Amino acid sequence: MTPLLDVRDLETRFFTRAGTVHAVNGISFSVNEGETVGMVGESGSGKSVTALSLLRLIPSPPGRITKGEILFGGRDLRNVDLGAMRAIRGHEIAMVFQDPMSAFNPILTIERQLTEGMRVHLGMSAQQARKRALDLLDMVGIAHPEAQLCSYPHQLSGGMRQRVMIAMALSCSPKLLIADEPTTALDVTIQAQIVDLIQRLKRELGMAILWITHDLGVTAALADRLLVMYAGQIVEEGPLRPLYADPRHPYTIGLLQSIPRLDRGRQDKLNPIEGAPPDLVTYPVGCPFTPRCPFAIPQCHTEDPPLMEVGMGQAAACWVRPHGGELLRPQSIQTVEIPSQGS
Amino acid sequence: MAEIVASTRSAIPQEPPRRYSPMAEFWQRFSQNVLAVLGLLIIIAFLFVGLFAPWLAPYSHTDQDLANTEASPSLAHPLGTDRVGRDQFSRLIWGARTALIVAPTSVIIGLTLGLLLGSAAGYFGGWVDTIIMRISDVLFAFPGLLFAMLIASTLQPRIESWLLSIEAAKPFVRSGYAEFFVVIAALSLVGWPGIARIIRGQILTLREQPFIEAAQAVGVPSWRILTHHLLPNALTPIIVSLSMGMGGAILAESTLSFYGIGIQPPTASWGAMIINNFQFWRTPSAPWMVWAPGLTVGVLVFAFNFVGDGLNEALNPRRS
Repeated sequence: MTPLLDVRDLETRFFTRAGTVHAVNGISFSVNEGETVGMVGESGSGKSVTALSLLRLIPSPPGRITKGEILFGGRDLRNVDLGAMRAIRGHEIAMVFQDPMSAFNPILTIERQLTEGMRVHLGMSAQQARKRALDLLDMVGIAHPEAQLCSYPHQLSGGMRQRVMIAMALSCSPKLLIADEPTTALDVTIQAQIVDLIQRLKRELGMAILWITHDLGVTAALADRLLVMYAGQIVEEGPLRPLYADPRHPYTIGLLQSIPRLDRGRQDKLNPIEGAPPDLVTYPVGCPFTPRCPFAIPQCHTEDPPLMEVGMGQAAACWVRPHGGELLRPQSIQTVEIPSQGS
Repeated sequence: MAEIVASTRSAIPQEPPRRYSPMAEFWQRFSQNVLAVLGLLIIIAFLFVGLFAPWLAPYSHTDQDLANTEASPSLAHPLGTDRVGRDQFSRLIWGARTALIVAPTSVIIGLTLGLLLGSAAGYFGGWVDTIIMRISDVLFAFPGLLFAMLIASTLQPRIESWLLSIEAAKPFVRSGYAEFFVVIAALSLVGWPGIARIIRGQILTLREQPFIEAAQAVGVPSWRILTHHLLPNALTPIIVSLSMGMGGAILAESTLSFYGIGIQPPTASWGAMIINNFQFWRTPSAPWMVWAPGLTVGVLVFAFNFVGDGLNEALNPRRS
């Protein structure tokens, strides 16, 4: 089976006055039809730049995709012309943004913004688009869709706006939904609702999802497969359960350990990963995680490890590949998951 | 316990939320500003006077009462007559028509130019931006009025003689409306750089907003992003500068006419009335012939500025 999206050796750089920012450094991954892939990593690890690269929305100048292929439905998106790219944006690949406050135009009604994609891509008339907009709002669980259509963004709450944004993304039935931290700006209770909603919509509509987040709890609830990003590289990837049970990259281990848990005493300190991510302008030699890595060996300082197979579909870019699962208590893995299925 | 839960559930309001239109909200705020409303009423009154000048004025602005030149105010001539016996009150009324033709037209043309050039500069950037903004810098370097004078005084005779060479345009020139043409052209040419700068600044800020990126991610074409997403957001400063610019244009028209290079007699213009009646300031003493048109210009300019202030306050999102 050919994957829906196949990214090969993608490299995105920003050429700024301060130097070249190595935002994305040769990452390869794929998303199959109907699959949900979680992309996790801390701020500045290149997740959002990857998402924008897929849609060719990197602000240029200063940014540019310098290498790689983005195969979507057999076409390399790097080579299609701008008109064709525009026809794909919002139609075949749709995006949900992090901040539902600022992703809406403040002076246009919800109706204008929600129907814009349908009118541009599907050539719908105002009436047709309005009818579908009402259905979409109903589908994402918004009460009184008629009243909300003539609202302005500031009149809706954050959670409602995120629902509207999801409705907007789904309006043209995309094959791939890119969700760039869609729950980060929301309250925890609303987060759970949104995660629930996406799960339901995924079952109903069967689209593929690339879910970008730094929240490992959310990915546990949603993703089939996980990509862990660090310093613009994929450092570990694999199916959800094996990867959570036995993470093999020190960074993944660190991420899982730094989640606060209820089953630990309050006196227990959190286990943050010491240090900060590397400066992406002066890109380090060797493995970029070395300075923060408790397992580092001399080889790590000189050679950047490639992704190496460590199990069924799981791979880690690490020379040591320690067994991190031993450090995590088995029951704690359970607490990472949000039991939202069927709630 | 179950009952309590049930009752709290039903307490959640089930009515759809009420939404006020932005227009209603705006009007509610604008109408609280007494000066702005007063200004608006004055403008409407002047519009009415200008529109119905032929019916409101007791005489035509060109009628000469040669038996009654340099007359003092009387029932027949409320503001007296000038050297050639024209009724000053009638000319004041006809002057409103002149002002309200020249000012809105030049402001709207200037706005259109500024809107097109400013948004092109802001949206495309690069060399388009450089060329447009350098031209506007050059125009800014001249005092606006001086530049308008230069254009008006050098182009007026040429354009008129050119129009006279066209048979169909002759009545147009004879009616005296041809000179409007030059004054409007001069004022709009001076007016656009200010608007262009505002628009460019707005576009540059707005372009970086996440909702523009979101619109791009939906696949909205560039021109549609510009017209549907960027420009509507830049509307507030445009509306405000439109109103302020109107007062400025009326003043500028009067000034050009005051210097004798704007609207030519016998067409009535407040600025020309002031300069033509200047000699009556002392001998024979008839100062009202100077201050009546002067005051009229002042009142109208103030009215536009008050409305501009009111609009600025009512439209400013930081106040809501």
